[in-house]
Amino acid sequence: MFVRWIVLLVACCALPWSVRAATEIEISAPGEQSIPLALTQFLPDQGPQSARVAAEINEVLNADLDLSGLFRFVDPAAFLDDAGRISLLSNQVNFPQWRMLGAETLIKGSYSLTGEQLVVEARLFDIVNRRLLTGRRYVGEVKDVRRMAHAFADLVLKALTGEEGPFSSRIAYISNQTGHPELWLMDVDGKRPIRLTDHRSIVLNPDFSPRGKEILFTSYRANNPDLYRKEIYSGKEARLSYRPGLNVAGRMAPNEREIALTLSKDGNPEIYLVDISGRVLKRITDNWGIDSDPSWSPDGSRMAFVSNRQGNPHIFIADIFTGKAERLTTQGKYNATPAWNPKGDRIAFTRQEGGRFDIYTIKTDGTDERRLTFGPGNSEHPRWSPDSRFIVYSSDKSGNRAIYVMRADGTGARRLTTLESDSRHPAWSTRW
Amino acid sequence: MSVVPLHSNNAFHQDPKFGRLLLLSLIVHVVVWAVFTGGWFGVSQRPKPPVYYVDLIHKPVLNPQAGRPEPRPASKPKPEPVKSAAVTPSAPKEPAKPVAKIPPKPPEVVVPKPTPKPEPKPAAKPVPKPAAEPDRRTEQKLQNALDEIRERQKHEAERDALKERLAKLSESVNAAATVPADVPVGMPDGQGNEVGVSALAFVQAFIQQNWVLSPYLLDQSRIANIEAKATLAYSASGKLVRFRINSPSGNQQFDDSLKRAITKSDQLPQGLPKDLELVVTFNLKDIAAARR
Repeated sequence: MFVRWIVLLVACCALPWSVRAATEIEISAPGEQSIPLALTQFLPDQGPQSARVAAEINEVLNADLDLSGLFRFVDPAAFLDDAGRISLLSNQVNFPQWRMLGAETLIKGSYSLTGEQLVVEARLFDIVNRRLLTGRRYVGEVKDVRRMAHAFADLVLKALTGEEGPFSSRIAYISNQTGHPELWLMDVDGKRPIRLTDHRSIVLNPDFSPRGKEILFTSYRANNPDLYRKEIYSGKEARLSYRPGLNVAGRMAPNEREIALTLSKDGNPEIYLVDISGRVLKRITDNWGIDSDPSWSPDGSRMAFVSNRQGNPHIFIADIFTGKAERLTTQGKYNATPAWNPKGDRIAFTRQEGGRFDIYTIKTDGTDERRLTFGPGNSEHPRWSPDSRFIVYSSDKSGNRAIYVMRADGTGARRLTTLESDSRHPAWSTRW
Repeated sequence: MSVVPLHSNNAFHQDPKFGRLLLLSLIVHVVVWAVFTGGWFGVSQRPKPPVYYVDLIHKPVLNPQAGRPEPRPASKPKPEPVKSAAVTPSAPKEPAKPVAKIPPKPPEVVVPKPTPKPEPKPAAKPVPKPAAEPDRRTEQKLQNALDEIRERQKHEAERDALKERLAKLSESVNAAATVPADVPVGMPDGQGNEVGVSALAFVQAFIQQNWVLSPYLLDQSRIANIEAKATLAYSASGKLVRFRINSPSGNQQFDDSLKRAITKSDQLPQGLPKDLELVVTFNLKDIAAARR
């Protein structure tokens, strides 16, 4: 009993000491905000060497990961001998060598060519903790090499952020390369453009179906702005809505059973819901003003649109079920082309100020408005990437109108299409 | 057979007075020890250090004196030994000084700008009146022109205010950066008597330097609230003896970045005055504040 008392006393006396021993400090920002990444050249494993394959993988990974804004690339000129070895297992990599170069993450890989068949092995390592973060083996043809690299870039983002990147998706846009504004499709880095329509008329305002298998667009092929629907893989096309007047800005609902579009069949442009065969289900807006450019919320319960019902064009949000609309933007005199992001928390739109259009984003409750584009030219038609981390838009800041992509905070803008033709109205697909 | 406890024969129990005296003595000793060392009442938590300037060159100490951690500025008289000092060095120096004094002038240059601004106003005012009756379009155009002018004036005023703030900030930064030659090595808030930088600030700066995290990794709405705590124990030689993430943030990427930072900080570039156990709170308050 007595011994217990002594132990208790000593423990009580020692307790404040142990508490005092650990001093508290606070670190309220990281020392560096971009992850140092060493991206090595992919090496030939079996079969012939192909400088083009290695260069294309490297180019795609470099562009995608740079756009993400997450990384700072370690200068390849500083690489040591481990960069020249195919080491795809963590126990084969010389981590101290990479750590010495200041890298925290490392991408290594190899490829094997057999005729036209290509096998690519890609790995992402955590240098500090000496472990493999993620890796994949891609089997395909040589022409698929860019797709493989985009897929691995998505995987790198998933391993480091918990959310897959958008680099395997596609961007649809309108280009007049052939002399007429036609519908085109390209990779997110602007490569591999293919033409989808040959209407030899005016095609405009494309939008992907939520699953990315179809595209809605408006065409003047029949001398009226009619709404068309096109299957991307089969190429099948159907005229969906061809009422007198406007049949524009068709947007498929998240459930893929309804389409919101602007019709002016009764004189004044209003937003309607039609089914996938084009039959009118419901009229969403009923106002003397012009109502246009619908954009669905991710849950399909609300819709952002443009209306001049209170004077100048502003963004409004309507409840699909009650039809009740509330004004979202209060600043500026001309706000248009709203695009609700897939995460559901922000809406991108265009504002005209001083005779120039720029891109803004705003929270869905009308707060935290941010201007994303500055400088010369007009920036218009913003659309979100499927992960809400990037925005694609069109701009004429370098002469001809071209498609650009930037991060959701307005940084890292880069041009995707050439300036030789006029490109506009981009739309970003879901992940393929 | 009866079992007799062994301690029944113990002398303590045979003489209760002795036991009580021993207990009393022990209590007195413990109380005296606790009072003198301050351990009994506990030590008030050290307040969060405001700003630390650490160059990782000076020796980390427990009780730094008041002073600055930056290296002493190099002495100026270097240009003197140059042979042609009378010709060349004096020439660039003279223009250099007026250049430094130029900044006050730009505001003077900016001043004329407001003068043209009032001009359009009187011009704009008389016009609408005659135009109002015959033509509403002209009035509308004038109104738009006026709006544009006001908008431009607003932007210019904002820009001027920003320029002023920037000038003030750069002045204060420059003032802080110029360290007189006779300032002792220490910490701005130092109250001790040791020459060197605070050991805590030294460790804090080193870990922060090794912490790499891109805000793009995180859900932007969580940046203001995300936080994790880790306990780190360093030996006097500067080696990380052990660490533990006490309360993870719940975000895998954030917690992974902390582990990497701690792993990279496994050996401090200099030794410490004694063994050190730290509870480090990692958060992104500075980034969140900068975005507001």
